[in-house]
Amino acid sequence: MVDIQRISTNRWWHKKKNWGLFIFLLFLFFARISKGSLYKDLYFLISKPFWPVQSQREVLTKSVEQEFLIRLNQLEKDNKRLREILSLQRLSDSESISATVISRKTGSWWRQIILNKGSKDGVEVGSFVVGPGGLLGRVDNTSLFTASVTLLTSPESKVGIWVERIKSHGLLVGLGNDYPKVIFYNKDVDVEVGDFVLSSPASTLLPPNIPIGVIQSVDPELKGQKTANLFLIAKPQAIDWVQILKVKI
Amino acid sequence: MSLISFLFIPLVYFWNPNWMGFFGVQPYWPLFWLLPWSMIHGSLDGLIVGLCLGLILDSISPESSFTQIPGLVLCGIWFGKLDFSSNTIIGHFRYGLICSMASFLCGSLYLFQILIDNLSENSIFLYFPSISNIFAKVFITGLYAPLLCSLLVGFFKRSKGRYKIISLKKN
Repeated sequence: MVDIQRISTNRWWHKKKNWGLFIFLLFLFFARISKGSLYKDLYFLISKPFWPVQSQREVLTKSVEQEFLIRLNQLEKDNKRLREILSLQRLSDSESISATVISRKTGSWWRQIILNKGSKDGVEVGSFVVGPGGLLGRVDNTSLFTASVTLLTSPESKVGIWVERIKSHGLLVGLGNDYPKVIFYNKDVDVEVGDFVLSSPASTLLPPNIPIGVIQSVDPELKGQKTANLFLIAKPQAIDWVQILKVKI
Repeated sequence: MSLISFLFIPLVYFWNPNWMGFFGVQPYWPLFWLLPWSMIHGSLDGLIVGLCLGLILDSISPESSFTQIPGLVLCGIWFGKLDFSSNTIIGHFRYGLICSMASFLCGSLYLFQILIDNLSENSIFLYFPSISNIFAKVFITGLYAPLLCSLLVGFFKRSKGRYKIISLKKN
């Protein structure tokens, strides 16, 4: 009788510690399944009083001027080509959502920003994000109040680009540092330092002709590949406001 | 309280203050928590907590193809085998050295995954310049570790026993 009583009191569910552990494991499971959205929403609420004020905008004026210069140059040429006009219509149809950057990881391997607009505000996975200077990245996942954006510098980021001057396409690969590489599809391209790089009109993920950066240096040919270092115009480490754009591609 | 403090690691990970960085690279935050916990509770707890930390951090990190779990699990096991130094001053700096080495291990394993993933695309050489991330992280993690780990060791020691995850001792 005493043994039965001892066994029944020794069952795992009679120990508070085991229940604590069970709830903890359940929490971990939930965090994994929801891709950390609970944490992102909690961080949204905690960080709300500390969101940036407008005074930092002056710092970004230079980037904006550069962006306008590239856009103006591109728009002039767009008017001459019927295909480019169609692309512009797609852009003008796009829906934009303004958002504030509430968390940023712009160093090391993990390069993302978290925005204060989520699925509640209509942000969708795959939307692209632009800031002063041009393209920043794509929305990787959303929670109720937040959206995580994978930056162009992230090792997982690969987007199609083209160099407008030489009409040549390539792939922009994030390397986990501040200077992503452009890998050109054609090894005989005549790319030069200072060439403007825009999103590719052939890309199925991004709208065409969004300014991305300027060629900083061209590498010597390696294994039949022509590569170049890109200087990004938009600076995710300084940008506090961005636009999330949904584009019908 | 010590186990609950685990839940704050992802929030620090999001906070990621720029002024605490070195060349834009932040310290590897989970090690500051994992080292004291594993040293106090042993390798088995270190392994489990390393796994849990890896799961949480993978969930909130953008790169879904790569994982932080192997590095954190190995560090958890390794930290559990270490003893506390009898000399307090040396003990503080030992935390710095251990965390630097652990940060190097985790960073190398992560880079290794990126290289393996890009092996087929014939572009692994492109990723070599980003090795600087590892060294910047090693430095900044080692710099903050003596202070943060010492604080957490004191905190965890006060609650030792009450929150041990797996107990191998028979009652």
